Amino acid sequence: MRLSRLSIRNFRNFQAIDVPLSGNVVFLGENRVGKSNLLFAIRLVLDPTLPDSARQLRLSDFWDGCAATYDDPIEVHLEFTDFAGDPALVALLTDFRTAHDPMTVSLSYVFRKKPGMSGAPETSADFDFVVFGGGDETRPVPGRVRRRVAIDVLDALRDAEGQLATWRSSPLRHLLEEAISAIPSADIDAVAAELDNATKALEGFPTIKTLEDELRVGILRLSGKAHDIDARLRFAPSDPFRLFRAIAMFIDGGKRSIAEASLGSANVALLALKLAEFAWRRKKNDRNFSLLCIEEPEAHLHPQLQRSVFKKLFGGEDPAQALIVTSHSPTLAAVTPLRSIVQLRGRDGATAAFSLAALPVSADELDDLESYLNATRAELLFARGVLFVEGDAEEALVPVFAQSMGRPLDELGITVCNVAGVNFGPYVKLAESLSLPYAVITDWDPLDGSKPPLGRKRTLDLVQIMLGIRGKPVMKPARLATLETKDHTYFANQAIKTGIFLNDRTFEVSVANTPALLKPLLDILDEQGFGSTRTGRIAAWRAGSVAVDPTQLLAMIADIGKGRLGSRLSKKMVGLPPPKYMADAIEFVAARV
Amino acid sequence: MPSNLWPPVFDTRRLLKALDELAGNPEQSAAVREKGHCVVLAGPGSGKTKTLTTAMARALIEEVIDPRGVACITYSNECVAELETRLAKLGIGPGDRAFLGTVHGFALSQVVSPYAHCVSIGLPPDFRVATRTECRTAVETAHAAAIGDGDNPHRRWEFAVEKRRRDVDRTRPEWRGSSPELADFIETYEAELRRLGLIDYDDMPLLAYRMIKQHDWIRAAVAARFPILFVDEYQDLGHALHELVLLLCFGGGIRLFAVGDVDQSIYGFNGANPELLESLTDRADVTTIKLRFNYRSGKRIIRASMGALGEDRDYEEIEGAPDGEISFYEVPHGLDEQAEEIATTIIPDITEKGISLGEIAVLYRAAWLGDKVADALRRADIPFVRADPKGLVRRSSRLACFIEDCAKWATGGWRQAEPRYSRLLARAGTFVYGRDASEREMQDLSDRLIGFLNSSIGSTESAHAWLQRCEDELVVPWREISRNSESDWDVCSEMISNTDPANDLDMPINRFAGRTEGAGRVTLTTLHSAKGREFDAVVMFGVNAADLPSYKDKKSAHSLREARRSFYVGVTRPRKSLSLVFQEHHPSPWVCELAERIEG
Repeated sequence: MRLSRLSIRNFRNFQAIDVPLSGNVVFLGENRVGKSNLLFAIRLVLDPTLPDSARQLRLSDFWDGCAATYDDPIEVHLEFTDFAGDPALVALLTDFRTAHDPMTVSLSYVFRKKPGMSGAPETSADFDFVVFGGGDETRPVPGRVRRRVAIDVLDALRDAEGQLATWRSSPLRHLLEEAISAIPSADIDAVAAELDNATKALEGFPTIKTLEDELRVGILRLSGKAHDIDARLRFAPSDPFRLFRAIAMFIDGGKRSIAEASLGSANVALLALKLAEFAWRRKKNDRNFSLLCIEEPEAHLHPQLQRSVFKKLFGGEDPAQALIVTSHSPTLAAVTPLRSIVQLRGRDGATAAFSLAALPVSADELDDLESYLNATRAELLFARGVLFVEGDAEEALVPVFAQSMGRPLDELGITVCNVAGVNFGPYVKLAESLSLPYAVITDWDPLDGSKPPLGRKRTLDLVQIMLGIRGKPVMKPARLATLETKDHTYFANQAIKTGIFLNDRTFEVSVANTPALLKPLLDILDEQGFGSTRTGRIAAWRAGSVAVDPTQLLAMIADIGKGRLGSRLSKKMVGLPPPKYMADAIEFVAARV
Repeated sequence: MPSNLWPPVFDTRRLLKALDELAGNPEQSAAVREKGHCVVLAGPGSGKTKTLTTAMARALIEEVIDPRGVACITYSNECVAELETRLAKLGIGPGDRAFLGTVHGFALSQVVSPYAHCVSIGLPPDFRVATRTECRTAVETAHAAAIGDGDNPHRRWEFAVEKRRRDVDRTRPEWRGSSPELADFIETYEAELRRLGLIDYDDMPLLAYRMIKQHDWIRAAVAARFPILFVDEYQDLGHALHELVLLLCFGGGIRLFAVGDVDQSIYGFNGANPELLESLTDRADVTTIKLRFNYRSGKRIIRASMGALGEDRDYEEIEGAPDGEISFYEVPHGLDEQAEEIATTIIPDITEKGISLGEIAVLYRAAWLGDKVADALRRADIPFVRADPKGLVRRSSRLACFIEDCAKWATGGWRQAEPRYSRLLARAGTFVYGRDASEREMQDLSDRLIGFLNSSIGSTESAHAWLQRCEDELVVPWREISRNSESDWDVCSEMISNTDPANDLDMPINRFAGRTEGAGRVTLTTLHSAKGREFDAVVMFGVNAADLPSYKDKKSAHSLREARRSFYVGVTRPRKSLSLVFQEHHPSPWVCELAERIEG
């Protein structure tokens, strides 16, 4: 089974979000964007340990912008699919199938004004809640469903040692109880007797004996005889049935207690134990599906551990278990399968959610995107805007130009994404799905003029992708045919409206054609120490007696290497204005972040 | 998760004890342990219910893993109540894991209600069950539209009903192949109901059948929830159930455990057909087990029953069972005098043998005959209760039985928790909310119910006044919030008018509750309503040549056989004593055959 949709309305930070989900889910977002509220919303539907008093929300739980009459209820809806393969899950959930698809079940929580309330409610008592399934309020979700399809929340893994140390909360407890129950009681008694001997030996040491006596006297003096607790110093309780509660986990081959481990290792141990506990509950048939929520695992997990732990967790898909992680860690985001990502962003006083579960890309494209994100530590997912460029030169130069325009990209939260080629499609889809402001900076690529310029078809294809993903009708063949007849000037001006910025040839030619940039470009060419013919040409271009010949220019650049040229240019062009199409692109995104 | 949230584990000791009790009976033991499709042919008194409930308990405890469960379908709400009681003794309460109900209840709650919104079957989201009046009006409208002759629409509808119940699968050629005008009539009638957002009782299994047949996922969902289907009284359950069984069990992966007795098939008028059960026993993938021992009656009565049926069965009494007595009462005159004879001679004769009034039943074919016996008993001052359709508490109505149990609770049952309040509350929950009620709804329901019951403890109200209060305090408010389209809320006002003091029908509330001083009350019941019950002594009233078989019975071989089976059902009810009352020189031919059999 998997969680396939989440929608929340009118709750705390959330005015209305409704996102498709894909198996394991990672909610990415900055602090205060409502990640914990989102987990709590899910718990309102599923958590068997949440008491009714906690499900009875307060007025302050309504979204701030909601009308003072509270006519719109707080709603949380979860949808699950792919349960048909497990008869136990079918038996539990079959009553809650949705009208739109019988192979999907929905479970809901609604908090709303009591019927017959007129006027504005004043307290929480004027509201009541229902938890129901199948979109039908008359189908309450029984407690057994919530016990068997259960949620566990690991709050920001901050107190792993504490959890491991307390018998009641320790995930070791059930596992140990089961292991111990299989041992014959005579054997346990024997161990108890041995421990007793060890304790006696301990008490035999005079200093220990003295310490114990002193402590006992101290306690007795404070509590009085009637309340004396008969304290002893022991390795473990001597009652054989309590003996095993003293069993604890030790590290470094048993030399040190887990409390002495680095925080990260204790957290990993806790996670592993939790997963073992789920497996045990399933084996015991206490539970049929576990939803494990982990809040901000990065808080106390070393980046390297984050990478390895979550790569494992996301890698092994278990149909009886799903993971919900909230995070703002780029390290974690970088190893997360792209379709598992849901981005949360504050927008107009409410938190909006953008899911990549249904990102319309092919398997190969998905691979490309994931490797890109992995290599760049998922920078794109944390950006407020993005400039897509074709290659290394642009990647190096765009930040420099932006700086000289007074639009420092880092401060604006704009990232430059080098797609290493002209396949912008998957990246544009990603930016569109995240509702991220973006511009595409690309070449017109007229070639030798015998064929249509490559930039035209590239632009038209991208526009079709944008229209499709926004749910708008794509351009008809007739419209395309008309656009294909238009010249560069007309076409480039139209493309700007869609966020695609075209030069009239290639990037390097544009640099050469920008008067302020020509000199540093020629300086770099000169430094290369070409032969006399080329040096002569460069001098002629510098003097302005001859126009720069694109073909000859590109031949020289090819010898230097585009990437190297880019990095050299970026050093020489500090404080200089970019070619116009690039300046337009930078302004376009800067205005939208 | 705190351990107090863990689901309770079934207490297996009660199951082991029940299994142990069956150890002396190899057929019963084999049946409850069978792991494939199984049909148990169970004659009168053969321990059919015990076999069924033990098999259910074993399946739930040993075989089916939580949260999956088992379903049990039986003939009537009365049978459901009986099975509930028996299962409770094995430690199994009805809940999500054990569905108990009628075919209609199963179809509605397990198929139609949960999935109608997912498929296009022509039902609005808030459909409800039509009342009798609404059905009659729809019949008239449909008749005018589809048939349009001057005939009585309701008489014509009787034929349509038969076709509707028989031709379950309307994609087969029979549906339009024979009597297409009836098919039109039925379809027009159903369309008329749908137009009004209604379904009727016969719709329930038909809709369920269609939904399961068209959607494999529904079949899979039913199988996921109930990997085993138990069917009680298979012979009485008709074509719709049979087609559902074929679909679910022989095409859908559910295991079948069916119990029945073709000899006791007496519900032909409801579409029952003994051949359906026989067709199951012919299947190669079904294990058929016959229960031989009769734990109820002695050798003499068993032999008499063979004469009653006119066929031989290899049933055996258990060792040490008393023979049983059979008496013939020849009365010079007709039915009135025969009723008088029961009141003045037969019942005193029986009580003289040490059998109490509560263990005596008078059986007859139709409720109007019961009026005659009732009058005679009233004159003789013998207390009685009618369990036939003319009884004050309609046995087929869950609500009526619930109200009677409330009266039992209020008149002393609260002391021993007999009936248990938790059961009363659960039943109330079903009436009002169907299967699903939230904790809060159940709390409100409980507040109202316990308020009413508490105020009834020690009350000196008459049954009439108490029922009136029950109507005002429970039925009316519940009816308003009810989500269960199946409940028969009118039954309480029916009981109010049937206890009207103006017609001298009122009684003290403890008598209404069935709490009588001394030896109890004689049960008056029809042969049909007597099915599944047993008494120490049974009096069969009016087994005359002209009445058994009647002129109508002789019209077809089919109805003649069914009439004879109903006689057989009566003869097999007593444990110790069977009395047959008829007009002198004019006994039913079957009585003669019976007499010959015991002589031989």
